[in-house]
Amino acid sequence: MTRLVGVELTRLRWRRAVLVLLLLAVVIPALIAAARVWSTRPVSEGEIASVVHGNAGQISMCAEHPRRFGLPPSADEQACTDQIVEWNTGREKLSLARERTGGSGMGVVAVLTTLVLLAATTFVGHDWNSGSMSNQLLFEPRRTRIWTAKAIAVTLVALVASALVSTAYWLTIWATVKARDLPVVDGALRDSMAYGWRGAAYATAAALGGYALTMLFRSTVATIGVLFGVAVAGGIVIATLGIGEQWQPQKNVSAIVKNGTTYWVEVPQSCYQSRPGQDTAADGCDPTRHLSLARGAGYYGTALVLTIGASVVSFRRRDVP
Amino acid sequence: MTDLVIETSGLRKEFAGRRGRRVAVDRLDLAVPAGGVHGFLGPNGSGKTTTIRMLLGLARATAGEMRLFGQPVPSGLPRVIGRIGAVVESPKFSPNLTGRQNLLLLARSIGAPATMVDTAVETVGLTGRERDRYKAYSLGMKQRLAIAATLLKQPDLLILDEPTNGLDPAGIREIRETIRGLGESGVTVLLSSHILAEVQQVCTSATIIGQGRLLASGRVDELVGASTAYRVGAPDPGAAVLALRDAGFTVSDDLVVETDRPAELTRTLGAAGIWLTELTPVRRDLESVFLELTAGTELGAGQ
Repeated sequence: MTRLVGVELTRLRWRRAVLVLLLLAVVIPALIAAARVWSTRPVSEGEIASVVHGNAGQISMCAEHPRRFGLPPSADEQACTDQIVEWNTGREKLSLARERTGGSGMGVVAVLTTLVLLAATTFVGHDWNSGSMSNQLLFEPRRTRIWTAKAIAVTLVALVASALVSTAYWLTIWATVKARDLPVVDGALRDSMAYGWRGAAYATAAALGGYALTMLFRSTVATIGVLFGVAVAGGIVIATLGIGEQWQPQKNVSAIVKNGTTYWVEVPQSCYQSRPGQDTAADGCDPTRHLSLARGAGYYGTALVLTIGASVVSFRRRDVP
Repeated sequence: MTDLVIETSGLRKEFAGRRGRRVAVDRLDLAVPAGGVHGFLGPNGSGKTTTIRMLLGLARATAGEMRLFGQPVPSGLPRVIGRIGAVVESPKFSPNLTGRQNLLLLARSIGAPATMVDTAVETVGLTGRERDRYKAYSLGMKQRLAIAATLLKQPDLLILDEPTNGLDPAGIREIRETIRGLGESGVTVLLSSHILAEVQQVCTSATIIGQGRLLASGRVDELVGASTAYRVGAPDPGAAVLALRDAGFTVSDDLVVETDRPAELTRTLGAAGIWLTELTPVRRDLESVFLELTAGTELGAGQ
């Protein structure tokens, strides 16, 4: 098996399309990091002075009524000045927490997932397209071994590539925050790394799923078509059928990468008629629900296991052209 | 049983199609003894390639049994695949890799050293072009690369499906000599080909199938049969025809006599004072046998 995995790793290394996709998996996150670093660059003294000069009235209004400006009641004039300057320059302060919750973190995961999935499906789709799969089986007829060796190679490459890129990405953001002398809460780097590695694990699983689907459909185009169809139609169908938001694919990705996420449910109309002493949670009036990492992993894990099962059975039984 | 390298019994393959099930191979009993070159003949669509693909584990048989070197196929195939080299239909390699890279991947999968690749490349005459991309190869070069791939295993059994497709006359002759040499060195070769003259020149035995069924099998000289006709030359052909017909021989106007008694033929003509200038046995060739056996079976079954 080790020998076969080695052969598949070499085959991956010699496939130009795979190398291009893996290169893009490095370049695009690097560009995203560069864009975040640039778009959050510190505001110069001159820019601050200009904004303060042009918005003095707003700053004093903010100092009197901080909540109107989205700030806590305790916010002082400096906090108001920072807020007004940020609004006017469009430049927020770089923050690891912000990048994880609503910033570029999910974007990097999406890019990595798409590219390693494409690399996996292109890699094995080429074997079917060129007919070289049958040639390989003339040298190793145990089909499960061939399937497994290719799966291990794809998984290894996807895992190493996405883990390295994620690590490099979050280290870059952390280093930039530190270099700008911005506050970093305890454990922020650890949390960001864990976020990145969960994202890498998700991307790896997607690559393995893409590989398994391509071994099932024997075509890169068919796999991409099916995945595109599921991505577009899946959410619509779930929403149309009124199935709970916890079944939405993107919510489950979020649950995996963010180590749990929140979604909203409809609450009874009576919940909107507040009564004194009402316990909204106990009455079922809390509209938020928690989707755990385990639930998200179970959602995608089930799909992955089913796909792998169908793929292996199909590859073992069907005639190879 | 074990002195047969290839053995099938009641082999059957059906394909499900829009118009129902189609039988490609129908109760085929095939026996290929060890050593020599065995021709595997049949019209297009007769089931040759399907049979080969089943033997190599690329397609599942619907019914029947197959054995290679005494091992059941497909369950025992991993035990003997290292002794089998095969080219099935057209060569199939990764087009963006070089010929050498394609061979290296296959060699590594069986633990063969890189030197085997160089030897195989040299054997098939691809030296100097092995570092070109496969997609830049001519059909003949692709065919040579496929044969080189079979040599990586130093096989005891070679299964070649139309190996001279796309080769120029010199290439065909080269491959023919290679196949003949392999057969003489003890390697068993199963050669599927449409070029019957080529098969007759190279093969010691042959199997002919049509519509997925066995039509004939045996040594090539047995299949072709003993001569039962002779071409006669005489100074006065008209007189020779009359003399032979008077003696009860069946004679065509161009003096081909159907008989298995050539001595009596010469005695008859001598007695009539006609002295022979030619007496040549008219042999059937494999093509005639093939056409007789397969008449009406073309495109009967799918490959």
